[in-house]
Amino acid sequence: MRRFGLSGLLFSATALLVVLGITGCKDNGLKIGVSAPLSGDIAALGQSTRNAILLAQEEINARGGIKIDGALKKVTFIIEDDENKPESTATVFQKLISQDKVVAIIGSQSSKCSNAGAPIAESAGIPQITPWSTNPNVTKGKKYIFRACFIDPFQGRVVAKFAMNRMKAKTAAVLYDVASDYNKGIAEVFRDEFSKSGGKIVGFETYNTNDKDFSGQLSKIRGANPDILFLPNYFNEVPLQIQQARKLGLNCKIIGSDSWDNPELIKLGGKVMEQTYFTNHYSPDVDRPASKEFIAKYMKKFNTPVDAAAALTYDSANILVKAIEKAGKADPKAIRDAIAATRNFNGVTGVITYNGSGDPLKGAVVIRIENGKFVFDSAVN
Amino acid sequence: MVNTIIQQLLNAAQLGAVYALIALGYTMVYGTIRLINFAHGDIFMLGGYIGFLLVTCISGLPLVVMMPLAMLLTAMVGVLIERVAYRRLRNAQRMSMVITALGVGIFLENLVRLVVGPQTRQLPAQLPNRVLTVFGNVVITEDKLLIILISMSLMVVLWLFVNKTLMGTAMRAVADNGEAVLLMGINLNLVIAATFAIGSALAAAGGIFFGQAYSIDPYMGIDLGWKAFIAAVIGGIGSIEGAVLGSFLLAGVEVLTVAYLSSNLKNGIAFGLLIILLLVRPNGIMGKPVLNKV
Repeated sequence: MRRFGLSGLLFSATALLVVLGITGCKDNGLKIGVSAPLSGDIAALGQSTRNAILLAQEEINARGGIKIDGALKKVTFIIEDDENKPESTATVFQKLISQDKVVAIIGSQSSKCSNAGAPIAESAGIPQITPWSTNPNVTKGKKYIFRACFIDPFQGRVVAKFAMNRMKAKTAAVLYDVASDYNKGIAEVFRDEFSKSGGKIVGFETYNTNDKDFSGQLSKIRGANPDILFLPNYFNEVPLQIQQARKLGLNCKIIGSDSWDNPELIKLGGKVMEQTYFTNHYSPDVDRPASKEFIAKYMKKFNTPVDAAAALTYDSANILVKAIEKAGKADPKAIRDAIAATRNFNGVTGVITYNGSGDPLKGAVVIRIENGKFVFDSAVN
Repeated sequence: MVNTIIQQLLNAAQLGAVYALIALGYTMVYGTIRLINFAHGDIFMLGGYIGFLLVTCISGLPLVVMMPLAMLLTAMVGVLIERVAYRRLRNAQRMSMVITALGVGIFLENLVRLVVGPQTRQLPAQLPNRVLTVFGNVVITEDKLLIILISMSLMVVLWLFVNKTLMGTAMRAVADNGEAVLLMGINLNLVIAATFAIGSALAAAGGIFFGQAYSIDPYMGIDLGWKAFIAAVIGGIGSIEGAVLGSFLLAGVEVLTVAYLSSNLKNGIAFGLLIILLLVRPNGIMGKPVLNKV
């Protein structure tokens, strides 16, 4: 009786495995990995990433999928949470590549995470497109890594020029997160560009991720009395920094960069965000049919404003899908070559062309915050 | 010059007050049951969130009602945690309880993340926050001043409680010798529960002030918990005066390092100081040398 029970158990386990195997084999659609900060400090941005991916997946599968080896195949995006931590991103990349056997990866969003994932994708020969990582090191010297956005040497220059020419700043101070690749990279570019154009950096202060008290640094900056304060930090921290600055009587103009772009910025900061400026990848106000169409679809489906990360993620997914269609097979090497050959892709955030590197040439816009809204101010190419 | 120093010391006082409210919980629990309660940073976080939920669910709830209510609720959670997670381990190896504490902390972080969401939140500003110019160009906002004053009064109340009441005397007796008090007819479980309740309530006050002055997120207790723990160790863990002293000292060193050396060195100097101090005074500034019972 007992032996029968054991063999019965073994039998049902085997049967279960067989069933799973069959259903697993049936599911021979195309798998694409996504690494996004679904939890952690910039979880709001992970949500935008997820929305953009779900929208893209729905559209692709509604038209039947992607044509591979002559047959239409459905696409599944496997979205994993990297918690906006480099070490978790590395685990996510390993898992997507070795367990899920994805043909390509989209992500991650912050540069520190993409920098952790890119070497893994590169050595496995899996193409990766990061939507939002602007730090130059992410793609540098790598064959399989691409991005959908501009890079910080360009963005830092745009901020410095805007500060000098439009905001008439002669002296500037910077407060940035020294433990994060993106913040550190662009802060240094800004410092160099601003001084090169004849400006003076009177304060260059740092903090560490998760710090919430900046009063020491800000009091010191107040003593230096700069014309402008540059805060190249993420949207979850910036409102706190501006609030503390104002409470300490630091009343200079404030400027930021693309890491500001998320509706949370206004929700957290409210009135203190008024009349501040930041550089961005695109503005909903710019009249581009592709943008207008995407914004309408996104708002209808998710009922929330579009941020640049969502738009760039949507672009990344479509660049990838086009490339897979052109390659005509689920081979990472062929897909990589097809991405590299992308010319004049008409995306939501602009026209994307890869010229031998993983970095597209794109323009930037400057956004002004007015009455709690992101308003288009000017465009820079 | 003098103005900047005063400005920076005021900045440090606010940070030190928050550190102290957390550090007191570490030191009190360690004093009674020799447990480094690593979940304490997360109790602080939970206190902030309970306050946040109270003001968002009951609109128009004034701070004078919200704060005691949140402190009471957090105190109950603290007692519950002690009852469920720590009591059975009281006579187990020290390490088992520390690991349980870490587990409780991770549980609380993820519970809040799941229920309220992972986004950074801000408590609605309920304290008056006009900017006051003290003298010269030293500025302080009213909320900052109130946070420092209320925290300090809470510490004075705690000191009076521990030194002037029967329960406080019982706590000090438990800290002296946990086994002997049983022979004196003191209800050990009640004393320990009271310790957890007071520690958690103070942490909740810290969490609410922190949410008013800065912002809250489910992971905020990790870094601050560590800082407060270090402050308690600097002051001499187990000593209430030491925890307060250590907190203001740590905050002062951090802020002054930023002001006069470099913000890059903030943590390096603060933790370097800890190592040097522990080499000179292994039991912290106010700590008493403890003889380990074999």
